[in-house]
Parts: sequence; structure tokens; C-alpha cells
Amino acid sequence: MLNYIWAGLIIISLAFAVIHDITDITRNTYRNGEIHTLDIRFPKNSQTDQRQPVYLYKSDDDTGFEASWRPVNGQYELAIPVSEKLPELWLQIAEDQEAADRDVLLAVVTSFDSEASTVSLLLPEVRYVKLRAITAAAFSMAEFAVTLAIGLIGVMALWLGLMKIAEKSGLVYILVKGVQPFLGFLFPNVPKDHAAHGIISLNMAANMLGLGNAATPLGIKAMEELQKLNPSKDKASNAQCMLLTVNTASVQLLPPATLVALMGTGVNKLVISMALATLVSLIVGITAAKIYERFHPEEPHLANIANENKGEG
Amino acid sequence: MQTIAVFILPLIIVSIPLYGLIKKVPVYEVFVDGAKEGFQIGVRIIPYLVAILFAIGMFRESGAMEFFMSALGPVLGWFGFPVEVLPMAIFRPLTGSGSVGVLADMIAAYGEDSLFVKMAATMFGSTETTFYVLAVYFGAVGIRRVKYAVQTGLIADLAGIIASVFIVYILFG
Repeated sequence: MLNYIWAGLIIISLAFAVIHDITDITRNTYRNGEIHTLDIRFPKNSQTDQRQPVYLYKSDDDTGFEASWRPVNGQYELAIPVSEKLPELWLQIAEDQEAADRDVLLAVVTSFDSEASTVSLLLPEVRYVKLRAITAAAFSMAEFAVTLAIGLIGVMALWLGLMKIAEKSGLVYILVKGVQPFLGFLFPNVPKDHAAHGIISLNMAANMLGLGNAATPLGIKAMEELQKLNPSKDKASNAQCMLLTVNTASVQLLPPATLVALMGTGVNKLVISMALATLVSLIVGITAAKIYERFHPEEPHLANIANENKGEG
Repeated sequence: MQTIAVFILPLIIVSIPLYGLIKKVPVYEVFVDGAKEGFQIGVRIIPYLVAILFAIGMFRESGAMEFFMSALGPVLGWFGFPVEVLPMAIFRPLTGSGSVGVLADMIAAYGEDSLFVKMAATMFGSTETTFYVLAVYFGAVGIRRVKYAVQTGLIADLAGIIASVFIVYILFG
């Protein structure tokens, strides 16, 4: 599933980029190769073979902007600093051009009439804007991922250190007592004095405190205990489905370390909303599992214990 | 409400070592031991973050994100569900580390204090990576036929996702 979504993101991105770029080419959005003719004003007493500031303008409208005149190998170039005075098309070309410096438009002078003071220029050609953009995004995001992960380490270390203390000091046992009354309702087919109860309540308590590292091994251990009671070994029992539902609904009173690291101190505002949301998901999950149970009736697991004891004895 | 919230983090940071001390746990050594994991997790999630972030980055940059949002936005908006948090709803049950990437991308796009980020963060904190839990727990005991566990897990996730949106609306909106 994840494979398809992930590959889908990349392929759809490429498709969108290609379609966008082809539309640009067919519509000639950037008018590549078009010659733009403007009036030009040089400073007084200047030679055209010198670098110098010039003023470009159109006499028929109020367009006018500064540029710098540069003789290069017998030809002339105009470096036009990007400003709001430029025509809209030019601004867009500057924004989407291939050159790394987006603040300057480098135009080639194709012809120059010193008598009439007009100049014809060719702007940089712009092609495959989106293709270049998604490639750049892929590279910059890959880099961002690493700086992000490194940046998260400090707060995660703080949080996981605290959680380790919580784990070692047996904070879970306070919660275990709160969980136990519900076990009879959640796992009706598991005998009351069975070892599974103790481990399940530890697993749930560890989940509540966001002790992922402690909760997962406990959950697996609880699953193994339930498997001993399970009459059909490759098919999940109702109790196992319930354990899984309770684990995926994940009653979390404390936020996970990665979230604390990402959100920083802002996470304290979210503790309450998370506790409420997690409660809703737990109640809905348990209700759903209880309804499904009705369609999958099972014998209480008592008989299997006898078999199991025989097997071990 | 906001006043309670201010006390939550300091309370956790202070009360846990205090409780450990009362229970005669060597708190300093245990803290350092746990903190080591922070580094390991930080390094371990890098490949997942790269995978998700670059794919989402491309998706955003290509204009596809905008297209799907404007297509799905009105439909979801009809239910009061903002389309901006849809990526989190999709990725959360599938990949835990990947959804860290989704959240990071959303923080970059909408700002840390935005309602969308609060919703996505609440989703992240209130639901689990269902498919991972399913694979690990049932895989450990060799169960192949999972019966209705996928459905109940996803129903619980869906409830958590919808609840996150509305709870954040009520608390912060």
C-alpha cells in the first residue's frame, strides 16, 4: 500500500511537471527567441565599447528601467537588475530562468542602432520550468530531511531520558491498577487468573505513557500468551484482535518523543487535544471490535489451557 | 485551559525524575542511558524522512498537490475536514517516521502555529502506525489470518483523525 502511494507521489509529480512544461511550450508562455526592441539612453559623452549604466525605455508607454551595458567579445550584453518596473513577462522569465542568480536578467543585444538610439535584445530562453523545479525540490528536501533529523536529536534525547526514568521507576504500575477493571470486559474469553491479563495491562499502561520501547515487547509477549490460548494457530482470536485494536488506538497521555522534538514547547498546548482524540479513537475502536466479535462467536478459551498444560507436562 | 497547558511540560520534566528519586532509581545514569536512544532514533529515521520528504516536496512543487487539494477540498470541506491535513491522515497509519516527515513539511508550508499543523500533530500523537503494529504483533506469533483486526484498527484511526480535526477546531479555532 505504502509502496503504491509513495511511487504514486513521484510518478504523479513527474506527470504534472511534464504536462505543465509541454503546455508552456505549446502556449509559448515565455515567448522564447522573440526579439524585444526598446529605446536606449547612454550617459553623455560615452563610448559604446565601455561598461556603463544605461536606461532602457519605451517611448509609447511608461515602461523604463535601468540596466548595465557590457561589451563581451565584440558583442553587447545587457544585465538588467530585476525590479518591479520590468514588464510582467520579463519578471516571470527572471523568476523561472535557468541561471542561478534570479535577481539579474542577462539579455543579448542582437542589433543596436546608435543613431536612433534603439536596441534589440534577446532574453534568456526558459524551458522545462517544472521539471527543473521538482528535481531541485527532491534534492533540497533530501538535504532538509537530514538537518531536520539531526535537529530533533537534542529534544528527543531529553524526552527519552525522562521516559527511561519513568520506565525504571515503575510509573506504569500506577496506571496498571486503573486498567485492570476493564480487562474482563475487553477480553471475556481469557480466564480471569491467566498470566495474559498482567502483561496486557502492563502493555496498555506503557502505551499510555508513550513508552514505545517498553510497550512493543510487552505487546508481543501478551500476543504470545494469547496465542497459547488460541485454538487455531494461524488465525487471530477475538482477544488478539482486541489487543491489536487497543494498541493501534493507542491511548496516549504523554506525547511521543518525535512530536515533542518537532513541535518544541508548543506541544504542551496539544497534550489535552491529543488525550481527547486518543480517547475517542479508543472508544470507537473497542466498540467496533465488540461489534465484530458478535459476528465471530468463540468458545471461552478454558479448554485450551488444559491442553496446553498437558502439552507442557 | 491555556494555563493548564503551560504547566504540563514543566510538570512532566520535574515530576518524573522526582518520582524516580523517591523510588530509589539512579536517575542520572538512567536518564543518560535513555537519552542515548535519542541519537539512535534521530539517525534511524533519516532514511524514512528522506523518502517521504523528497516525494512530498516533488508533489508540492509539481503543482499536483494544489490540483488534488482544489479537487478534493470542496468535497472534504463539506464535512468540515480541511484538505490540508489529508496527507497526514493518509500517511499516519502506514508509516510513523514518514509521518514525522509529513508534519515537518506542513510546518514548513503553513507555520507551526497554524490550525492545520495543530490538527496534524494531534493526529500524529493520538493514532498509531496501524499496519506496522499489525505486522509486528501478528508476525511475532505467526498469525496470517488477521480476521477483522485491520478494519478495527483503521476504524479507530479514522475516529482519531476526525476527532483531532474537531477537537482542535473547538479548542483553538
